[in-house]
Amino acid sequence: MGAIRRLGAGLRRDWISAMVVIALIVGWEIAGHMAPRSPLRESPIVPPWEFIFGRALTGLSDYWKIEMWAPVPQLGGAQTLLGAVLALVFHSALTLFRLTVGLVLGGLAGVLLGLALSWSSRVRKLVAPSLHLARMCPLLAMIPLFQFWFGATNWAAIVFVAYGVGVIYLIGTVNAVANVPARYIENARVLGASRLRIHRSIILPAILPELFSSVFLTLGLAWSAVIGAEYIGVESGIGRMVIWSEYFSNTGRMALITLVILAYAMASFALCRKLQERVLAWTPKRPGA
Amino acid sequence: MISITNASCVFRHASGREVRALDRISSTIGDGEFVCLLGRSGHGKSTLLRSLAGLNTLTAGEIAVDGRPVKGPGIDRGMVFQEDTVFPWMTVQANVEFGLLAQGIPAAERQGVAREWLDKVGLGRFGDSWPKELSGGMRKRVAIATAFAGGAPILLMDEPFGPLDYVTRRDLQNLLIDLWRSTGRTIIFVTHDIEEALVLAERALVLRAGRIVDDIRVDLTRPRDEEERASPRGIAISKTILGHLELEQHTPGAA
Ligand SMILES: Nc1ncnc2c1ncn2[C@@H]1O[C@H](COP(=O)(O)OP(=O)(O)OP(=O)(O)O)[C@@H](O)[C@H]1O
Ligand SMILES: [Mg+2]
Repeated sequence: MGAIRRLGAGLRRDWISAMVVIALIVGWEIAGHMAPRSPLRESPIVPPWEFIFGRALTGLSDYWKIEMWAPVPQLGGAQTLLGAVLALVFHSALTLFRLTVGLVLGGLAGVLLGLALSWSSRVRKLVAPSLHLARMCPLLAMIPLFQFWFGATNWAAIVFVAYGVGVIYLIGTVNAVANVPARYIENARVLGASRLRIHRSIILPAILPELFSSVFLTLGLAWSAVIGAEYIGVESGIGRMVIWSEYFSNTGRMALITLVILAYAMASFALCRKLQERVLAWTPKRPGA
Repeated sequence: MISITNASCVFRHASGREVRALDRISSTIGDGEFVCLLGRSGHGKSTLLRSLAGLNTLTAGEIAVDGRPVKGPGIDRGMVFQEDTVFPWMTVQANVEFGLLAQGIPAAERQGVAREWLDKVGLGRFGDSWPKELSGGMRKRVAIATAFAGGAPILLMDEPFGPLDYVTRRDLQNLLIDLWRSTGRTIIFVTHDIEEALVLAERALVLRAGRIVDDIRVDLTRPRDEEERASPRGIAISKTILGHLELEQHTPGAA
């Protein structure tokens, strides 16, 4: 009951954004029918919705290449909806796997390294300039280098994502540690806590609220990184599906895959927000939060 | 027993100016005493207390506890800070347990001791609450419970009740007196409030410009209610302290 009422209130609050979304959907459809006809049947300039969720969706079965469960169009099989769904699930799973493992590895490495750097202020001062250099490096420009090192493999994509987010976590951690109020650390010292205990029980939880801003920052970055890695080199995953669509200018498929990625990105943000609520249950409510 | 011998502390500010926060202080404080450190703002109260805690290094002289020189914080000395130092990411129970955890005491024993101290400060039912769910006065009770639960025979308190309202402060003063009397710990309590010193202290040390200018026995009977504080002896002590605080000729480097 309460949930429904809250949903209602949310809807009323969000009705403007809902209207905007509806206007975008309708506007796209109108543009789809007004745009000049493309000479290629599979490549409308602005693919209308019925095309995206019709021909384009079924067409995704072209990317199903395992001779099981559904016909393989590459070997002369028919395009099927089942094949399309299988292709989407298969490549999505690969991408989500790379993204998740890369995020977790990069996050852990970044935070642990950041804590280690914060152990000694002398080391921190020594390393700080190179850290900022690492952050300034254009990430996408480094994909080929990573593929040279790791090959066009799962690992290349994972290490690449981990590197991209790890740098952000490292810098975020070092900054957050510097912002931990001295009174907490002094109190812990007076209570007899060792340096390790202070890092584990005081500094780590104290920096969590600030770290969560890195979480949201890196989530967007990780999506760009993993799609980018697949786009440029790795021969599978949802980013690679975009490339395959591009070979034959399948605009409908490109639009459809973009929508799918959008949905995943939004879901991952929502998941992180839930996680944040759970992990930071102890923080005082900020106004407007 | 705490012995302070010729303790001096000179701070060099960023401007290059030197501030003598403690100037050759010597004194001894016996076990089980309740000492109030009084003095105007900026005259070295916190510096002395932090030096006792081992959070501040003396530039000359020595502080020793039971003959052992203070080199840093130790579990023989606990502290209650003026600021809110209750860890917001731990439940109230976990906060009170923290000192014991740091000392490596097993979980079952920790829980028992912490629960006992939460009961004693009147927060027995709040063990599972987050600190954000408590009032400022209740969080101060958590800080007191944490300091006592750590087991240190010496407790250092730096204006712990400063930011609280009058009634809450009186409640906490009474609580502290009860805990002091039932445990026999040594308490060194910084305050700039003469009335608070009269309620709490057995002995008042008055600091001025980094020196101890008076050492007064507060020999009033307990409870130290309005009448007792208004007794001739109470008024005499107030006047003496006030004289040290008010008739300020000399200001130290910074104040
Ligand atoms: N960390 C520090 N660095 C430089 N100077 C300091 C530092 N701590 C204290 N001082 C100086 O030492 C002197 C004594 O300060 P202290 O904090 O001990 O005063 P206080 O008696 O506790 O004052 P208050 O009642 O305002 O808390 C001041 O002049 C202050 O400027
Ligand atoms: Mg002070």
